[in-house]
Amino acid sequence: MKIGIPRALLYPIYIPLWKTFFEELGHQVVLSGRTSKGILNNGVKTCVDDACLPVKLFHGHVMDLIGKADVILVPRLISIYPGEFICPKFIGLPEMIKNSVSGSPKLLIMNFNARDRLEKGYDGMRQLGRELGASNTNVERALDRARARQAEYESMLESGFSPKSILEKRNARQSPASVKGRIGLIGHPYLVYDDYINMNIVEKLAARGYEAIFPENVPLEDIELACSRYPKKLFWSYGKRLLGGGLTMLEKRKVDGLIILTSFGCGIDAFIDELLLRANQREYRIPQTTITLDEHTGQAGFDTRLEAFIDMMEWRGRYDNNIPAYGTDVYTGKSLV
Amino acid sequence: MTITFPHMGRMYIPVKALFDDLGVKVVVPPPVSKETLEIGTRLAPEMACLPMKINLGNYIQSMEKGADTIVLTGSCGPCRFGYYGVVEKEILKDNGYDADVVILDAPGREPQVLLNRIRKISGNSSWLKIARAFLQASKVVEQVDEFIDILLKKRPRELNKGETDRVQSKFEKEVLICKGSGETLEFIEEYKEKAAQIPERPGVQPLHIGIVGEIYTLIEPYVNLNIENKLGHLGAEVHRGITVTDWVKTHLSLDMIYKRERKKKLKKAENYLSLCIGGHAWETIAETVHYADMGLDGIIQVLPFGCMPEIVAESIIPTISRDKGVPAMTLTVDELTGEAGYMTRLEAFVDLLSQKKGRVYERS
Repeated sequence: MKIGIPRALLYPIYIPLWKTFFEELGHQVVLSGRTSKGILNNGVKTCVDDACLPVKLFHGHVMDLIGKADVILVPRLISIYPGEFICPKFIGLPEMIKNSVSGSPKLLIMNFNARDRLEKGYDGMRQLGRELGASNTNVERALDRARARQAEYESMLESGFSPKSILEKRNARQSPASVKGRIGLIGHPYLVYDDYINMNIVEKLAARGYEAIFPENVPLEDIELACSRYPKKLFWSYGKRLLGGGLTMLEKRKVDGLIILTSFGCGIDAFIDELLLRANQREYRIPQTTITLDEHTGQAGFDTRLEAFIDMMEWRGRYDNNIPAYGTDVYTGKSLV
Repeated sequence: MTITFPHMGRMYIPVKALFDDLGVKVVVPPPVSKETLEIGTRLAPEMACLPMKINLGNYIQSMEKGADTIVLTGSCGPCRFGYYGVVEKEILKDNGYDADVVILDAPGREPQVLLNRIRKISGNSSWLKIARAFLQASKVVEQVDEFIDILLKKRPRELNKGETDRVQSKFEKEVLICKGSGETLEFIEEYKEKAAQIPERPGVQPLHIGIVGEIYTLIEPYVNLNIENKLGHLGAEVHRGITVTDWVKTHLSLDMIYKRERKKKLKKAENYLSLCIGGHAWETIAETVHYADMGLDGIIQVLPFGCMPEIVAESIIPTISRDKGVPAMTLTVDELTGEAGYMTRLEAFVDLLSQKKGRVYERS
């Protein structure tokens, strides 16, 4: 059977797991095309207006797979880590697709709920494997292989590779010829790793001599540690990754600037970015900007903002040691003498 | 310690009664107004949902009146409401407001934390006293909702135009003078009587419209631009999908009969959505199906812009509408919602419903 996987939402994070699993079970995996104007337009047309850009894109990718695959995989990611959730829209995604996409394509709904225990999360995949007609032993073997591939992938991400460089087998890091500095790119995987949607920001940064660091490059322990400063546990796995990743980059002075990529109407980012911004203003004072993306975002305006940010960052690097006569730091107001 | 809390419809009546009973000083935030929203919009993140903006406005306005401790409830996701407290605390801190924020969360692994917090805000009253105060307050909640339900029934049927609204506004003005749950309950009883005696026009058969959606938006009249009253004036009897009573019974009480009923109701959503996706989206779908089965003339979903769970519900509702043949409309509100445009949509919806019913409605 040909199983279509939409190249959207958490695809860049989980593709080794999903793809290996289905291939080991003897199915053929078809990916939707790379995000394009057509896919975006289709998504915008089918999805409810209030949804955010990534969810609209997912709709577009599902439409793209109609006719190319026998069934389309729609993951229902309820929780990917014990005691945590992802965005509610991920949980209701199969319902959104079922009710919005016309032509009623056959959907393969894969639950993943690790709310109680991480191991239990894979039960949804096991069940799906059995529904596809595989025996228990085959399912277990496929799952083991898939998880091994996924673990390998995740450790590569942590060591500083980007999904693109691994998945497309580009050689090593996409570091610019001479690195002037590093910029933390804080955003959900579906924005940061989708070059169409983020207007190729990584290459644009590289052209100016900056290397991008992603939240996925920060080890989980550091993220947990950084988030422990808040009195209440953050219950969004990706929210935690973005906030903890950003805070770790700031804390370890790994970056010269932070760029937050967010999609218009993103509920989680509204809170996470606010917390990150406030912590940065209070303690670290590293240049930071937020770029909001939606289906109307224009290339020119985007480039201007990016250029302005880098200019500002560089000027600051040049003039930052201008200490006022009364001996306080220009930014924090703290005494330097 | 002077306590304040965010507004949520008429929730202030039982909450005030509760703290009065406990002998704790409490400041009821001024009614939500344009100014409240302006304060909130200035301080909150731009993309935050509307309830948070109003909450922040409430706190600031209460602190100006002397409150120093903020009490709010929490949850553990995935809806954003669960993290309100933390973000609000940070915002207040950066803006120079030194308030103690007490979040009452569902007890996870450490129930002691919650108990300590309850003890703290109750001014170290004995547990017996606290339990009694909570019980009394939940009675107030129910009574207030019953009073509102009478008004909803009366509004499309009233003989003298505007009488129901007059009773309601007088009630809302005077209820704050009551001290303690005893007085409050008596006062509500008196007004329920008054409301029941509002004269009706004979033979009126109003349209029946169910409103469903995000709980805060449904309950707080300022946010939904008083949709209940507006529909009432257009000659429709409003059925509320979710009330404060529902919330209290689901989250704070041990009422098993209610819980069983709730489960039964949620089961109705089965064909469309069969699990909790956070917030009240599941309830929204269940209520929509329930209302369609009840034979209501129309259903309106109200949500604040960007509400994550309700967006999922929004994409399901058209299917229910098609399957069951019941007209449904979604209204999204935020700080920029204009009253005129909103009113036009309500009027158009009511017009269509009455045409569907094959008769011209009478404006009350």
